[in-house]
Amino acid sequence: MLIKIRSIANVGLETVPVDVEVDVASSGFPGFTIVGLASKAIEEARERVKTAIVNSKLDFPPKKITVNLAPADLPKDGSAYDLPIALGILLASGQVGIPENLDLTKAFFYGELSLDGSLRPTRGILLLALFAQKIGPDTKIFVPELSASEAVVVTGTKIFPVSTLSQLAGHLLGREIAPLKARSIPTDDEDILMESNLSEIAGQEQAKRALIIAAAGGHNLLMWGPPGTGKTMLSRALPGILPPLNPAEALEVTRIYSVSGLLNTGQPLVLRRPFRAPHHGISNAGMIGGGSNPLPGEVSLAHLGVLFLDEMPEFPRTVLESLRQPMEDGTVEIVRVAGHVKYPASFTMIAAINPCPCGYLGHPKRECKCSDKQIAKYRHRISGPILDRVDLFVPVSAVESEKLSLTGNKEVNRISSKEAKKQVIKARNIQSKRFKNEEKRSLYTNSQMKNSDVKKYCFLTPEAENLLKLAADRFDFSARSYFRLIKVARTIADLESTEKILPVHMAEALQYKQII
Amino acid sequence: MLYKKLDNWQKIPELQKLLDLSTPPRQLYYSGNLNPEIFKDCVAVVGSRKMTDYGSRVVEKIIPALISSGKTVVSGFMYGVDQYAHRICTESGGQTIAVLGWGINTILTGEDFKLAKKIISSGGLLLSEWETMKASHWTFPSRNRIVAALSSEVIVAEAAEKSGSLITAAMACKLKRKLWAVPGPITSRTSKGTNQLIAKGVAKIWLGESSQISFLPDDPLVQILLNEALTTDEIARKLQMPVSEAGAKLSLLLLSGQIMEKGGKYFIADAN
Repeated sequence: MLIKIRSIANVGLETVPVDVEVDVASSGFPGFTIVGLASKAIEEARERVKTAIVNSKLDFPPKKITVNLAPADLPKDGSAYDLPIALGILLASGQVGIPENLDLTKAFFYGELSLDGSLRPTRGILLLALFAQKIGPDTKIFVPELSASEAVVVTGTKIFPVSTLSQLAGHLLGREIAPLKARSIPTDDEDILMESNLSEIAGQEQAKRALIIAAAGGHNLLMWGPPGTGKTMLSRALPGILPPLNPAEALEVTRIYSVSGLLNTGQPLVLRRPFRAPHHGISNAGMIGGGSNPLPGEVSLAHLGVLFLDEMPEFPRTVLESLRQPMEDGTVEIVRVAGHVKYPASFTMIAAINPCPCGYLGHPKRECKCSDKQIAKYRHRISGPILDRVDLFVPVSAVESEKLSLTGNKEVNRISSKEAKKQVIKARNIQSKRFKNEEKRSLYTNSQMKNSDVKKYCFLTPEAENLLKLAADRFDFSARSYFRLIKVARTIADLESTEKILPVHMAEALQYKQII
Repeated sequence: MLYKKLDNWQKIPELQKLLDLSTPPRQLYYSGNLNPEIFKDCVAVVGSRKMTDYGSRVVEKIIPALISSGKTVVSGFMYGVDQYAHRICTESGGQTIAVLGWGINTILTGEDFKLAKKIISSGGLLLSEWETMKASHWTFPSRNRIVAALSSEVIVAEAAEKSGSLITAAMACKLKRKLWAVPGPITSRTSKGTNQLIAKGVAKIWLGESSQISFLPDDPLVQILLNEALTTDEIARKLQMPVSEAGAKLSLLLLSGQIMEKGGKYFIADAN
């Protein structure tokens, strides 16, 4: 008897339906074959399925069993076909029947089996739920209980959490499993436990201000200064001042984390903006994504969040150069044998660099040991095109602790992360109002504006324009840095809730011009 | 880089001063367009390979003054103060002579090559007493004697205790050239050599032209910059002013040319 079970394959973030055809032949030599470009993990499903069925007190038929994963030309990977294969065998051998209320063409099965017949957490559940939602209103999905919460925010499909194979067999025999109740997407309003609070960082007033501007406008930021001045600490404070993800964004980020299998059990959605800080030993594939069946890299995991590159010149040059496409387009395309995959990768880059290899160039007390050549070589590691995509440059200089202790608590520049977050959210709200007609182009922040948008949305007072021209003349700006300055000035004006860009905003933006 | 031999340099009147040396160079080779006038009124600006911010500001101050009084700047083309002096000189429209510590046919690369091209295109010269000689520990002192002999005055901009520029200074004394040293903070290692030259009475103390501060706005921000160079953070802290406001003000003052910025620190444009 032939049975067709529906399942899916995730190619990047795209979901493709896969039919798992199971045939238990009435004649022929007993055996178990899987065809349809199955990977090693799927080949091994034979042993898992066989043992799981037996250990679930069910019968594994001693007959010729053939499984085809259609479409047969799409390479398939992963262990999620265990459940549909096992179910197909049970149905095809007639041990369980198909109840009337279950339409097999509208039910999807997905999950990895353990030898004892229980289901293990499986990645990509959210994508399955979104796919089922797209197909139709009365679809059902059967997924491992431990991963089912991923899908809980998807409405329009019934989600059945399955804990064991025998439970599923029981369900088909009439012992109902209760479907999960759909929940709406919560918005993150609780205070995130921060690694460091802005108010705990001594000095570095300008760097803190730059951090707020970066968070408000999504601008890329480069901090530059000797070691031990707080560059890393400052960047760690950034997640605490970023605005929460809105529901659409949360779903977008969660999809990526679902595919990578990085969602914690019981965590339905990623609600915080991601903060990724890869080590500089990272490979190209690790940064932009890769593998024979390409998985998202750090740039995609930082989607809608922050990618922090500490000691940026220490990253391999090829890795830095590979950031150019995602920084420009907000997506990354990976081509491998298995196919062509496109992942979103729209992130804010925060980079920290030392002024020279030893780190002490320009330090008030310590001597720099580097030669001019070494310094020039060090700076050349970061190419112009990457620097060109950085909007804010800020020097982080060594702070002499005795000077700091003199300034008491009534410091005007003292700001806590909570206050900063409020400012950022306010500025983001202004931006979302400004770009409400541009959502199709996924233009959400000032930093994403193209030159034509700058002309359309950024109005300078004549005085501010004069100032900009004067500065362009004096500092020899390229056309790109000219527009970059206007974008930064726009964000500064948004932080002050001012509609037009005033000379003060422009003058402050000039503080963050390119310094290397 | 193309080079030529300077035939019979002993016959060029502008180069007679080289004969003051006990061992004048046998030959001279040069790159660039030769006009003997360039040797007429030379001042050497020399210093350490390790240059601090202070040293670079000193050079930026000395060179324009020399150029405006029509001098040629001579230096040793070594990275640090020497190369910076050449660079500032070309940027300020002056002529400069780079005396090389190696043979003239040595191929220059990278920044060295760019600077050499700049020196020549601005009317300056590269000069060496050797055609094919590798740089080694004795070629540099040998080069220093030419630097000193070519110049009527030698200014040591910044020098640590064992800087090679002190050899140039000693040579200048021997040749009875006028020797200047720029004083530095007594806490700075890179000013120890220059300070010692002054302390021993070998060199005269260089204080630059006493320029009068013509007009300074009565702005507290400008006032606190009179005494020391400060970062934006320090200014905001001292004046208890929001850093955004301080930054905006600094940009405006910078554009109006009243203050200058270097390595993140601000200072009054001509008070130093």
